[in-house]
Amino acid sequence: MARLIRTEKEVEGRYEEVWLVVEEDALEQWPQGPREIVGRPATRVDGTERATGQAVYTADLRLPGMLHAAVLRSPHPRARVVKLDLAPALAQPGVHAAIGPDDLDRLTFEPTFQGEAVAAVCADTLAQARAALRTVVCEFEVLEPLLDPDEAVRAGSLLGEPRVRTRGDYERGLAQADVVVEAEYRTQVVLHNSMETHQSVVEWVGDGVEVHISTQFIWGIRDGVAEGLGLPPDKVRVICHYMGGGFGSKNSPDDYTWIAAELAKRTRRPVKCALTRREENTAAGNRNATIQRLTVGARSDGTLTALGGEFVNAVGSSGWSSGTEGPMQMLYACDNVKTTTYGAKLNLPPMKAFRAPGFVEGTFGLEALLDELAAKLDLDPLELRRRNYAEHATEGGDYSSKNLLECYRRAEPHWERRHAVRARSTDTVKRGVGMASQIWYGGGGPPSYAWVRIGSDGRATVVTAMQDIGTGTKTAMAQIAAEELGIPLEHVTVSLGDSARGPYASISAGSSTTPSMGPAVRAAAADARRQIEEIAEQRGLAGAPIADVVDVLEDAQILGKGARGPNPTGMQVLTFGVQVAEVAVDVETGEVWVDRIAAVHDVGRVINPLGASSQIEGGIIQGIGHTLSEERLHDPATGRLLTTTLDAYKLPTIADVPEIVSELIDVPDAHLTNLGSKGLGEPPIIPTAAAIANAIRDATGADVRQLPITREEMLRALREAKERERHGVPAGV
Amino acid sequence: MEYRQASSTEIDGTPVHGGTEVVPLIRAGLLHTDTLVDIRRVVPRGIDGGRIGAGAPLAELECDPTIPDVLREACRLAASPQLRNMGSLGGNLLQATRCWYWRLNWPCRLNGGDECFARDGEHREHAIFGNDYCASAHPSDVAAALLALGATLRTTQRELPLAALYRLPTEDDRRTTTLARGEVILEIDVPPCEASVYLKAMDRKRWAFPLVGVAAVRSGGTTRIGLAGVAPIPWLLDDGFESATPLPRNAYKVDVATALVKRARTQLES
Repeated sequence: MARLIRTEKEVEGRYEEVWLVVEEDALEQWPQGPREIVGRPATRVDGTERATGQAVYTADLRLPGMLHAAVLRSPHPRARVVKLDLAPALAQPGVHAAIGPDDLDRLTFEPTFQGEAVAAVCADTLAQARAALRTVVCEFEVLEPLLDPDEAVRAGSLLGEPRVRTRGDYERGLAQADVVVEAEYRTQVVLHNSMETHQSVVEWVGDGVEVHISTQFIWGIRDGVAEGLGLPPDKVRVICHYMGGGFGSKNSPDDYTWIAAELAKRTRRPVKCALTRREENTAAGNRNATIQRLTVGARSDGTLTALGGEFVNAVGSSGWSSGTEGPMQMLYACDNVKTTTYGAKLNLPPMKAFRAPGFVEGTFGLEALLDELAAKLDLDPLELRRRNYAEHATEGGDYSSKNLLECYRRAEPHWERRHAVRARSTDTVKRGVGMASQIWYGGGGPPSYAWVRIGSDGRATVVTAMQDIGTGTKTAMAQIAAEELGIPLEHVTVSLGDSARGPYASISAGSSTTPSMGPAVRAAAADARRQIEEIAEQRGLAGAPIADVVDVLEDAQILGKGARGPNPTGMQVLTFGVQVAEVAVDVETGEVWVDRIAAVHDVGRVINPLGASSQIEGGIIQGIGHTLSEERLHDPATGRLLTTTLDAYKLPTIADVPEIVSELIDVPDAHLTNLGSKGLGEPPIIPTAAAIANAIRDATGADVRQLPITREEMLRALREAKERERHGVPAGV
Repeated sequence: MEYRQASSTEIDGTPVHGGTEVVPLIRAGLLHTDTLVDIRRVVPRGIDGGRIGAGAPLAELECDPTIPDVLREACRLAASPQLRNMGSLGGNLLQATRCWYWRLNWPCRLNGGDECFARDGEHREHAIFGNDYCASAHPSDVAAALLALGATLRTTQRELPLAALYRLPTEDDRRTTTLARGEVILEIDVPPCEASVYLKAMDRKRWAFPLVGVAAVRSGGTTRIGLAGVAPIPWLLDDGFESATPLPRNAYKVDVATALVKRARTQLES
């Protein structure tokens, strides 16, 4: 029965209260362990299409009569347009339209970050559009930018109120401590660098609009575009069959969609607006920089008595101040915690969610701090974490399930390798092992729907208007349907990627796709199976294979429908894990390399172990880039960006990727839906930086405090450690 | 823009060989030309003992057992396999700096302006020697190797030691090479040596320009050290690092270079 409930919905750690129509989830969970299909490795059902170039991404789309847009973006972080003349562009060959801030309110005369869109033109070819754009007369009055996050906090240039979260009595906890460690950590701006840049193709059809877009949220685009264009949502069709990477940055329509829509309206042609690599790495979002001033107090046995932090998120000109304090608040049992988080509003490009926003940065700070404490107390870092294990949630409802202790247990053989690893050190190359824990969301939630259609050929089609953002969702959904129906995986097709073809589906962000969509798909398959069983009963074929039962259907079809049920009331659905990194440090040249990372994560039931290990590898590789080589730099005086190309902005190459060992606990969350599955998109990137930093400390005794750990940061930390040693001060001070 | 094949070494236009540098520079608006002349058919590309055609791609040099270790290793550690397949030895010597200010077309001294933005700005990848006028760093691993080897070049107009190909930019002349317009490098003569090595520090394991590249060559009882990534041109190290003039955020390069030079010398002695 459908039921209207008031519930908390969580995406990327941000909660909102919403009214939801939910349907009861009547199915029992499958027993723990691999089933016939679910829980067993499956290669991607669309692997061949993707590998052979048959898959049509938004970037590949060439609609008849399609025009190409080029966008004039502010080269200055803060400026005022004092003169804008589009007329010369309109006179250029192939040009069909040109627009400025007077034509579209998403364009601006007063840019507040480098890359903010001022004007746009469209032409028959992209080259023509770009050539025409160069003829636009645009004069800027350059204004003084605000670039320093601490200065922004002092000046009150903030996005939202500072977030103060307290538990117990922090000052008293600090007074009870035998040992106090304070440290300041900094993390850098990193770029999503989606292989397929942000882009849309918009076409007006009849009294509505069709939007082809590289997105993580088909239905969010539909609602956003409808609102922005003043159309009923049903007049907006959103299509995204394949997507070339988003990592949190492709959840909303953004300037390119509005520009394409306006130009398409004016020209009555489909218009593509695609960001170049340089535009992508300027204006498509980023993981914001942070400053974390942290304090931990503990008794000599390692019991935490106080945790405190001041967190500054250098958000940029807009965006939100993510939960960088989250790990400090949530990961350990500590009675006295106080955190203050500021979102600094700056004249730098706005942040966008990037794979566990806040928690990646906050885990680096917290888990490095914990190891500095362990060094000071001369305690085994893993033991220190066990002693402060949170049996119950530190605030709010209790955990729906938690197997972090089991993660620690499974990590032990990897942790034990540290003695052998250290023993391989030489005079110049020091080796060590470090670990870090992970906590994050990942429970998904309603609403999400799916249909399952079965014809007389015994084959099933799962229909739902969701997106596969490249994570293997299509394969996982096919596995769930095949498992429930008891038919081979090859007999299931998944139709997705089009809001006109299928019911509402959730966002693919916040590690929510599998836990949101999977239960709906299983429910739809179960509904179809129930109908088939009823027919079988009537034909005296009870217990026969589906193919034998549906054989008589001819043109008739079995249609099953399923909905995602509610999350458990009064409980927090969270994911957990631990990673153990082995590194080598050349103490003369500051070179750091990672030899091996073992990852053990607890995300409930695993649908596709092969897809899951790919997710873990991808997260760790992205984490290694974040830790060692990636950084978006800007000129300190003007704020203009310096590293927007792939030669200057250094992503890890395959040579930088170590041996990665991944393990999953694979125990269903008994309280969560008919599957007991949580999401895995984000957890693997969360502990990587801290595990590497802690391994560096294990190898060298040096405390790295800043990401990326470049040669200069490594050499600085080594010098500091040497100084300390000379003065006989223990590590962690 | 016109594109044509060169029929002789008389080049009228902008010569292009592998295109891995010329094409990006045109795209970035840093190089303006009406005519691109493809010189692949007129520049020698063979490897004959110590004489190497300037058209030889790095990918061939990196696996040639007859050339000195330092040159082979410098080729192997440069760029990516795809770029090394395309990029020629001669072109590699002529590549421009990776200074982001210059590459982003800021009106800096190399671009004809009157300021070096890197000196007061973001310069972690920049020069620690010869950097008072322009702090850009020369990116060629191969040039450092050939400098240490004491190689000579034969161009369409002259023969010259490799060191004479480069000049520090000055107020009066912002160029970093002495190559005349239309002059093309044809061959490189590499004298024999007793032992040699190339060591490179970069921000990741592959496909990165040198933060510091150290080429060390022992010949006739003396060791010559050529450095990449430390000055606006390939730099011959004479009296150690006391004369280095690092900027606030690239002093680490002195430490890295010192360590690598020591290491290279040790390797040559063993």
